[in-house]
Formats: sequence, C-alpha cells, structure tokens
Amino acid sequence: MSESQPLLATVKVAKSYGPVAALREVDFSVRRGEVHALLGANGAGKSTLVKILAGVHPADAGDLHVDGRPMRIHAPVDAIAVGIATVFQDPALIPDLTVRQNLRLSEIEESAFTHWLSWFDLEDLDTDSLVRELPLETLRMVDLARALARDPQVLLLDEITAALTADQAERVFSLLGQWREQGRAAVLITHRLAEVRRICDRATILRDGRNVALFEPNSDTAAANGSATGTMQDVDEHELVEAMLGAEVSDSAAIEAPGSHPQRQQESPSSVQEVSFAAQGLSSGEVVRDISFELRRGEILGLVALEGQGQERLFSLLSGDRRPSSGDILVGGSQRRWTAPYDAVGDGVVLIPGDRLLTLLPNLPVRQNLVVPLFSRIRQWLRIPTDERQRVMNAIDRLSIDTRAASQVRRLSGGNQQKVAIGRWLVAGFRTLLCFDPTRGIDVQTKREIYALLRELAASGAAILLYTSELAEIQLVCDRVLIMHDGRIVDEQDAAHATESSLLTAAHGLEVLA
Amino acid sequence: MMTTVRSAGVAVWRAGLARNSWSLGVWLLLSALLIWYATLIPVFGQFQITSISKNSLPLVYLAIGQAIIVIAGGIDLSLGALLLLTNALAARFMDDQPFAMVLFIAIILIAGLGILNALVGYIISVSGVPDIVVTLATGYIWSGFALWILPSPGGGTAPEFRWLFTGAQSGIGGTYVMPILMMMVPAILVFLLSRHTRIGLSIYAIGSDSVAARLAGLDVRRAKVSSYAIGGAMAALAGLATVALTGTGDPRFSVGANATLNSVAAVVLGGVALVGGTGLVLGAVAAGVILIMLNPILSAMGIDPNNAQIIQGLLIAGVMVVGGLVTLLRERSA
Amino acid sequence: MSQTPLPAQPGAPTGLAARAAEHISEHPTLALTGILAVLVLVTGFIEPNYLSVSGARNTLLQAAPLGILAGAQTILMLTGGIDLSVTMVATGSAYVAANQSPEGALIAIFLGIVVGLAVGSANGVGVAIFRVNPLIMTLAMSGILLGLFTAWAQTILQGSTQMGPFIKLIGGGSFLGNRIPYSVVVWVLIAGGLIWLLRRTGWGRLLYAIGDNEVAVRLAGVRVWQVRITAYIVAGVLGSISGILLGGRTGAVDLQLANAFLLPSVAAAVIGGTSIFGGVGGYTGTILGALILSVLNSMLTFLNVGQAIQQVVYGTIVLALAWGYAGLTRRA
Repeated sequence: MSESQPLLATVKVAKSYGPVAALREVDFSVRRGEVHALLGANGAGKSTLVKILAGVHPADAGDLHVDGRPMRIHAPVDAIAVGIATVFQDPALIPDLTVRQNLRLSEIEESAFTHWLSWFDLEDLDTDSLVRELPLETLRMVDLARALARDPQVLLLDEITAALTADQAERVFSLLGQWREQGRAAVLITHRLAEVRRICDRATILRDGRNVALFEPNSDTAAANGSATGTMQDVDEHELVEAMLGAEVSDSAAIEAPGSHPQRQQESPSSVQEVSFAAQGLSSGEVVRDISFELRRGEILGLVALEGQGQERLFSLLSGDRRPSSGDILVGGSQRRWTAPYDAVGDGVVLIPGDRLLTLLPNLPVRQNLVVPLFSRIRQWLRIPTDERQRVMNAIDRLSIDTRAASQVRRLSGGNQQKVAIGRWLVAGFRTLLCFDPTRGIDVQTKREIYALLRELAASGAAILLYTSELAEIQLVCDRVLIMHDGRIVDEQDAAHATESSLLTAAHGLEVLA
Repeated sequence: MMTTVRSAGVAVWRAGLARNSWSLGVWLLLSALLIWYATLIPVFGQFQITSISKNSLPLVYLAIGQAIIVIAGGIDLSLGALLLLTNALAARFMDDQPFAMVLFIAIILIAGLGILNALVGYIISVSGVPDIVVTLATGYIWSGFALWILPSPGGGTAPEFRWLFTGAQSGIGGTYVMPILMMMVPAILVFLLSRHTRIGLSIYAIGSDSVAARLAGLDVRRAKVSSYAIGGAMAALAGLATVALTGTGDPRFSVGANATLNSVAAVVLGGVALVGGTGLVLGAVAAGVILIMLNPILSAMGIDPNNAQIIQGLLIAGVMVVGGLVTLLRERSA
Repeated sequence: MSQTPLPAQPGAPTGLAARAAEHISEHPTLALTGILAVLVLVTGFIEPNYLSVSGARNTLLQAAPLGILAGAQTILMLTGGIDLSVTMVATGSAYVAANQSPEGALIAIFLGIVVGLAVGSANGVGVAIFRVNPLIMTLAMSGILLGLFTAWAQTILQGSTQMGPFIKLIGGGSFLGNRIPYSVVVWVLIAGGLIWLLRRTGWGRLLYAIGDNEVAVRLAGVRVWQVRITAYIVAGVLGSISGILLGGRTGAVDLQLANAFLLPSVAAAVIGGTSIFGGVGGYTGTILGALILSVLNSMLTFLNVGQAIQQVVYGTIVLALAWGYAGLTRRA
C-alpha cells in the first residue's frame, strides 16, 4: 500500500519505566480510512504506545510522523493540536466541575459536542451536572463526544466498549464506519477479538514491547465498500491469540481450553458439601433486593449481571464493607453482624474487588502488599510471623508473579497486579472468596492461570463466589450460576449447560419472566 | 418556552446552592454572629462594623490567597511570611513618602510578590517536592528577609493610605465603607476569576484531578503557577493592610506563623477542602471574618481573652468533627 | 508471562559518574551522611573548637529533642498524617513536669507523659474516627493547648517552673567524663525502638500500607482507625519525652519552650526522605535529618550573622536538600 502515506506512524519508538522496558522498538502505522486494532497481552505495551501517541509520556527514543512529517509531541495538548484525539480508559474529565465547565476548559464548541451527544442518544444529558455525579458509562460517552467535537484526524480508543452497553457499542461501531468513509483513521485497543474481526481493517500485535505481527487481509476492499464492517472477518481468532502469546506459551495455554479442565468433569459438589456461606433476604435500599443463596465448600458459584444491576453493592454487603438494610449473612450456619471488612475477614470471608486501585499498595513492594492481612488483629501487631517470608515466596511461586519490577507494585502489568491482589489472600488464608470480575482487562494467558487457580482453591475446600462480565467464563470455571437483574436474583442455571445466550436472556430479566 | 428556560435556570441555581451549601452556611453563621454580637453590647453601630471589617482585612486577604492555592491542590505555609515581608518593605519605604509614591510602592509590592510566589509555584512544579515542604522553607527565607529589611518594629506609611484600608487617616474610627469595599472588591474579583475564566477553572481542574486535567490538554504547570501568583499578590495586600492598620511594620516570625495557620483555618472553615478542587473563595472570606469576630464577641461575653484561643480551636475542631460525622452518617445510610 | 530475563536496557547508565549517581539514588542515606560530614567539616573550619568532644556533645544535646520530635512526625507522615501540635505537647508536658517536680522525678515524668497520651488520643480520635484532616485537627489542637496552658499557668499549674535535678540531669547532663549526654542515651533507645517498630513489626508494616492506600488496608480486614489512633498516641508520647528532655536542658520552662522546633521537626523528616504523602521513608533518614539541621544551626551560630541571615540560609538549605533528595530518588 505504498500509494497511501500513513496518517500516523511511529519508527522504532522505545520507552522504559525505571528498570522495566515497556516498549523496545515499535514500528506502527495507521493509514487514512482504516480502523486499526492494536492488540497484545497485558504488559505488551499497548497502553504505553497509546500514551506516547497521545502525548502523555514522551518516548525515550524513536520518531513520530503525522501525515509524513516528523512531529515532537511533549504533552497531550500537542497531540490534540495535530489532530490526535484520545479516549482513555479513565475518562479525562474533571470530577468537581460540570460537563459544561469541562468543555469550556477544553475550548470545545458546545454545539459540536451536543451534536455527538445526540448521536449517542444522550441529548437529555444535563450539561450542568457535576462529572462526579455521572455514571462511568455516561462519562466515557461524554469523553468520546468531546474527542469527536475536536474534529480529529486520528481517534485513539482505549477499551472503549468495556464500560458501554451493547446498544452504545453499536453506535460507536457505526461511527467508526463513517470515519473510514471520511478518510480519517481510528485505533482501537481492545481485548474483545470479536469486535476486532467485525470492525477493524488491520491489526498490529504487540508482544513484550515489540510489534510482532501485522494482520492485513485483502485490504483492497477496505475503504471501497464503505460499510460499517471491516475486513478482518476472515481472520481466525486463534491466529490472533497465538500472535499475542507467542508460540510456546499458546501451546501450554491450549491445554486449558474451554471445557477441558479436569475439575469440570467431576460431579458437582453442591449435593455433598456443607454450606459455608449464605445470604438470606439480603437487601440494600433499592439497589439490592431480597437476595438469598447458599455457597458450599468446594463450589464456585457464578454470578452474572448486566452493568449496574446492583452487583457492586451486593459484593460490598457480602464483604462487610457496607451494612445491609435488611437480611442476614450466615457463615457456617450462624448469623453474622458485620460492621467492617475486619469482621468479615475474621470469619474467613475475603474480597478481591473489581478495581485493583482498591486493593494494591502502589508504591510498596510486592512483599509488603502480600502481608497486610497478616496483621489485621491488634495482637498480631508487635510480631512478624516467622514463616512470613516463606508464605510470601509460596504465594509468588503459586501465582507465578513476575517480580522483575517487584519494588513498586504500580510498575507491574495489569495481570501481575491482579495476581498480587489475589496473592494477599493466599498468604493470609480464607474460607470464602468473593471475586469481583477478576479477569477484566487481563490478557488471555493470565486469565487462564486465574481460572486454574480458582478451581484449585475450590478443590481444596474453599467456597468461591465469582462475578464475571465475561459470560464464557461461566462454563469454564463455575459449578452453578446465579443471574442478577435489577437488584434481584432472577434465575439459577447449571453452569455446565449455561450458554452465553441463555445467560444473556436471563440477565435481561424481563424476557425470562415473560 | 420562556417558562422552561426559567425553570431550567432555577434548577441550575438550586443545584449550585446545594453544591455550595457550606459556603452559604458560613455566610449565614457570620450574619447570625453579627446579630448576636449586636444584642450582646449596649451600642452597636458604625464603630463596631468598621473595627471588625478593618481588623479582618489581613486575614481575609490571606484566606483568599490560601483558598485559591488550596483549590489548586496545593498549600502555602509561607503566606504569613510573605505578609511579613510586604509589611517590612512597605513600612520601611513608605515612611514619609507622598501618597502617590506610597500607592506606587503598593502596586510594585503586589506585583512583585505575585511574581515571587509564582516562582515558588514554579519551583514546586519542577522539583516535585511537596508544596508544604517548599513553602515551609521559603517561609523561613521570606521572614529572614523581612527581619533583614526591618530589624525592629518601626517605619510608617502615608495617612491617605491608612484611610484607604481603614476609612480614617489616623487608623482610628472612620467609616466602614472603605474597609468593606477593600474587602469585597478583591474578594469578588478573585471569586469571578476563579469561577468564570478559563484559568480559574483550570485551577479547580488541577486540584480536582491533575491527571485528568493533563490528559484533557490543560497546562497543569501554568495553572499551578497562577494559583501561587494570586496567593502571593493577596499576601502582599494583607501586608499592606497590616501597615495601614497599625501604621508601622512588625517583622516578628511568630506574627507570620500565626497568620499562616489562621489562613489555613479560615480556608477549611470556609468549606475549601484541603484535597483541592472544591469550595468557593467567598466561603473563606466569611470564615476569616468569623475568626476575627470571635475576639470581640468573647470579650463582650466577659470571657478571658486567653480563652479565646481555646474557643477558636474548639470551634475549628468542632466544625470539622461535625463535618466528618455528617459524611460518616451519610455513608452509613446510603 | 514470559519468564525470560530482560536483556540489558539501552537506557542503563554506563559511566562511572552515572553509576555512582545510580548507587546514591538507591541508598539516599549515603548522600545524607555525606552532607552531614561536609557540614561538620565546614563548621569545624569556621570554628576549629567545634571538632571536639564538647562540640559533638553540644550538637547532640540539640539534636536529641529535635530527633525525637521528628520521630513523631515520621510515624505520622508515613500514614499520610502530620502533627502540628507536637511542640505544644512538648511544651505542655515540660510545664506539667516542672510543676510536679517537687513531687519527685518519676511522678513528674509520668504526669508529663500523660499529657502526650491524652493529646495524642484526642488527635487520633479526631483524625481516625471523625476523619478531620490531620493538618487542621492538630492545628486546632495546638491552639487549644496554648490557650489551656496559658490559662492554667495562672491557676492549677501555678508554682514551680523549674525542673527537678533528675530531669535536669537527663536533659542536659553527661556521663563518662562529661562526654556523653544522657539525653542522647534516651534518644538512642527511642531510635532503636522506632526502627524496630517500623521495620520488624506488623504495626510498622501497617503504617506504611495505610499511607500508601488506606482503602486497600481496610479491605484487607484491618481496622484502620486502630492503627491511626495508636500512631497519634505514640507521636504524643514522643512529643512529651522530647519536651521533658528539652525542659531538663534549659532548666526552667515557659510556654515558648518548644515553639521553634515545629518546622524543623517536619523538615528533619522530609530531608531524611520521608514523604509527606505517606508510605515512603523511615527513621534512619530522619535521624540524619535531625543531625544535619542541628549542625547547620551550630554553624549559623558560629558565623554570627544575625537572625535574619540565619533564617534565610536555613530556609535555603532545607529547600535545596529537599529538592536534591527529590531529584535523586526520582531517578530510581
């Protein structure tokens, strides 16, 4: 494709954070009229590349070309000036200002912004509401609308669909179709390979800070057909995964492909084992209503819900972080009244929250992160268990945490951070594990490791409640699955027979009842 | 159409009031205290209002400056020392000068200290040393300079200059129009600047979420430096007001340290959270006046002025405890 | 995750100077020790008598109370807190101890420490349970204490403002032929205790953890308020001890006794590398910070330049040290 000058290109871009090389030598280019997928496992360098393109961090080495001209981008404001608009995973909006004040700060024409808002069916949004008061999915759309109102040439979208409803995602896809027709470009960072096949034209794969593959299927038809779909449909998802993981790793990963885990073949333990944790008529305002379930030793109970059905609140009730307005929590058959996570942890009920920011000590070493729960009681304050070091080493080994950047956890990749979050409970021990979306935004390999670990923990007698936003995980790891809708449990299915479509139907609530 | 527009306007106002209910509450508290004070003493009139408003000037100016810096996510422990420095410079160089010259010096000082403190803001931003540490150190430096310029209390200023801040050329008695004007004009100017200009909003933005502000394409450093420049200029005003009030210069370190601590107290009482990004400059203004008013109120109640210190501390701690309690209960019930 | 070790990075420093800088940035206490040594030599150059046992003793006599106060700040700063009332606690404790000195040294010291316990508990409850910003809580507390002790000085604390002989000995006396001050022994004991607490106990681990991410500690099943309150109590007690030593050194107490130590106590911790935002630092650095500030103080006194210039130089050096430290550690 020599006739088309790349709209945006990097040449041998490199970036290190302290001792960790995030990008080594990346050549990446985006043409006019394409939707380009940027793929890779966690820690492969996707986010770093986006940050360099967006001007958040300067590159240590290498060149950046926009429309064939070399450019220096020192700050986000420079990137915006050359026509690169970015929608980050965390919306770049000021929480204590109103939407309108945010627009004013970014010097955005309000009319252009409202045009895009109505494109996303959000014309009812009150621009005088504080950003702090708006839900995350709305903020991501606001952020996207603001980016579009800048009328950019290149749009960088980092995991844009993760927080959106299916409906809103469709809108974004059709927008990308238009974008292609207008001869602009978009870069899509995503973990959802189905999206890539559906709407992208090319895909660059990063691994260990290098661009290792470029998928470029019959690109002649790309710009010409002008439809909302890209040209990646014929690419095999497995090929993409293989490229992301590298040859040797993907072989070992294949052993644990769906349905093949040894534990899944066993008889469901629910009929045999004692109930270790139960909720009875648990309610919290209008958000969580009358939820009852039993969780047995050795069981992994799945929980499925669309965004915002009260699952976050349910988990904070179950972990003692909030008190229910009514209903009971039973541990080992006896009723518990918890006022803080302190009490829940004392009863062996522990939480791995969805947001890793809630569970990591970012500036402290891995070891300090892992040992915190060992000192929750005052009587533990003045000594350090003699086997502390041993326990930490065991947890690190068992999770195969990559400790190259162990002196500060914030330097670890997302997947490794999640392992640390899980690891602190391996060190301290527990009976009931509450897992909130532990694999969100994590690469395939780490996901598989986490599935295997959960099965292993269950086999050794733990009771696990697993909320997940990825429906495919239910069959893979769970024994039973509860479906939550509008604050209630609306259905229970046997995980072995739960299909994505049966789960989705139930998760929409009304259809199942009808 | 008209009605919907108007009701939307009302809704915006209502939301605005709800968001700034703390600032509103502080002004209500100030009014209540004034009324109470009026009933406490036999005669309440021009003299009392003049005295409260002019005595509040230095603290109110410092509180405005501190508020802007705190809103931007910083804190300036050198504001009191900047007050000392201005006070010393003004008393030394304004002595026996004609009014025009005195005004010229005043303007130079306001601009000069604004620039000086902007430099401090720049140092904070480049060095990565926390605000509290840098300003702690610069506080020493400025009060050292103040002592160097004016080794012992003394100096003076033009009578007209004293009239400007106190309403009387002798600094005694006079009209309350001047002190109230001198309080409200800068207060409202800085308030409008902070809420209705792009630089003001970016000061809120960096205090609220500096990462998001940078990603949104704002110049974080410029906003930071601006907040410190405003703080420096307001501290200069406070130093000038002190010269006008006392007619002399006093370079004692403890005067500056107390002024700094009071400015922080006024800002927090005024509803500007120390984490930054929230609160209104006007809230800090009312809180500054309240802190000054406590003294005459307590003495009117026949309470030993030594105990004023205790009451002031209890008031600050009490208000903060109640604030914490409200948040706690709100979280429990939510 | 690939387990293969990384090849040498392109950006790794190669030259000798760069390697030295790298080494220092990993061990900032080396740099602090170097600065301390340079300051001692410069002071010795200005006043040759300073490089003697008595010079060292005088500096240590100054450094001990400051180092203990800075220990209080270090503990609290690690949790993201600060104590602006610690010097009023010191002053109040000394005042009480002096007042009770006729009752015997043990009672005097005990009652002095009760002041720190009480104020520390009150600060802790305010900060940990009512979530008052520590800066504000301790600032208000400082005002309350000043008012209370001013009032009490004329009522219930009327009487002796002289420390008893035992406290004077501990605060200002020396042994081994007038070589080693008793207060330094107290400081060494406290320093050992603090270093053990911070490095080798669960409580110490929790202080760092809370300073880094309080929510994560709460979700790990820790009652964060317990840790915070105990930290403020320990800080209060350290304030008391420091005040009693200081009072013993000066012999007589007044309400300005420890005032001048507030900013240096924070500065010593900061220079020593403890982050005011919490989670980073330790007491070893603070000890060096307190020594550096004390030597600096002696140097400025010998220079005999007057208070104005002293303040300017003091401020400039604190700023330069903090800046240099930030620059060094940011490389890592």
